Amino acid sequence: MRLRLRHDLHSLAGAYALDALDRPAERDRFDRHLSRCPSCAAEVRGFREVATAMAFAVTAEAPAALRPQVLAAAARTRQLPPEVSSHRDHARPQRTRSTLPWIPWLSGAVALASIAVAVFFGLAQSHTQDELNQARAENQALNVVLSAPRVQVLSQVATSGGTAIVVLAAERHALAVVTTGLPALPSGKVYQLWLIGTKKTESAGLLPPAQDGQTPAVLATGVVKGDTLGLTVEPAPGSAQPTTKPIVALPLPV
Amino acid sequence: MNPSDSDASRLESATADRRGERDLDDLLVHVARGDSDAFEAVYDRLVGPVYGVIRRVLRDPSQSEEVTQEVLLEVWRTATRFDPAVGGAATWVMTIAHRRAIDRVRSITASAGREQRTAEVHTPHDEVAEAVEASLDRERVRRCLDGLTEVQRESITLAYYGGYTYRQVADRLKVTLGAIKTRIRDGLIRMRDCLGVS
Repeated sequence: MRLRLRHDLHSLAGAYALDALDRPAERDRFDRHLSRCPSCAAEVRGFREVATAMAFAVTAEAPAALRPQVLAAAARTRQLPPEVSSHRDHARPQRTRSTLPWIPWLSGAVALASIAVAVFFGLAQSHTQDELNQARAENQALNVVLSAPRVQVLSQVATSGGTAIVVLAAERHALAVVTTGLPALPSGKVYQLWLIGTKKTESAGLLPPAQDGQTPAVLATGVVKGDTLGLTVEPAPGSAQPTTKPIVALPLPV
Repeated sequence: MNPSDSDASRLESATADRRGERDLDDLLVHVARGDSDAFEAVYDRLVGPVYGVIRRVLRDPSQSEEVTQEVLLEVWRTATRFDPAVGGAATWVMTIAHRRAIDRVRSITASAGREQRTAEVHTPHDEVAEAVEASLDRERVRRCLDGLTEVQRESITLAYYGGYTYRQVADRLKVTLGAIKTRIRDGLIRMRDCLGVS
């Protein structure tokens, strides 16, 4: 009976790949089946390539007015944050341990930029493998910002004390944030970042716990014109919208 | 590597080159980093087949335009979820496009009944021949469709271009549900081999 059921499901691979299943429930059921059946997933991939060829076979000229509309809409639309899995790659990252002894001799913006760059490149110390993996995942995400041809380094002193340092890659609509010297929070409270737009405010994630007074870099994507980067103190595990007055509100020159 | 492997991979890479897929994967990875130039390039490369397939399924030009816009915006928004290891960029985008077109058809037919659309469906085989742009893909797909049995060909084209569920296809072709599932799958296996998809 069970075998028959599975055989029956498998025969749906073609209809599934053509989006021809009968009901959403049937699609969901097949989705679940796919996650457990690598050979079915491979078959569906092959069928989807057939479908792609069939789509190319009916290529048609889209209305010219569509192009500027889509491009303008994209410029206003935030991208989903990258899915960063810290378990995907357990290779030991190449890291140099350093406590940045030269920082004290630098001052002002240069020091801030140096801290930012140092932290971004992972020079801040991490000891456990978990921390290393986590840092590596963050570094991969940060390459988005750091590989940009032009970046701006911005900073603002928080009203609570401490400093937020932002590396902004305007062309990539992305930024990375580190902080230094923010007051430690009581348990049950977290620091949360926000992209405060002209129309709506979206969470840009929580600040990770500080190490030696610095928080590891956080990446935010989908930065659009008119956005301000905000930082608030929120009840754990974070809020859907800010519930307190921002301690940092940094307009972003995008 | 035995001869058939190398044939298959040559065919595959010829296909990939013609559509510029390798390039396209790379472009989409850049789109995922918020690169708007890369997005423009992806748009230019894929808007034709995206609009084409949506138009084929939906028929109505203004609805097709609307869904095309939704799809391309979704490509921008979710490019961060594209994984080149799982499949090519063109396939990723076309899967989104077709699914969105189908979702729209299902919601239209749910509200308006299906009579109107049914009346508009021509012989599916001719639809391919009527494709607006002559292309190698068109010739290739047509040749491969010609290699199928009639029921395989009709069920695949009704499902993919016509937007019918396999149950509706079974009704139209007066074939049992079990047989339709099998015909679609067998037909796609033959198409896959004929097109040289790995």
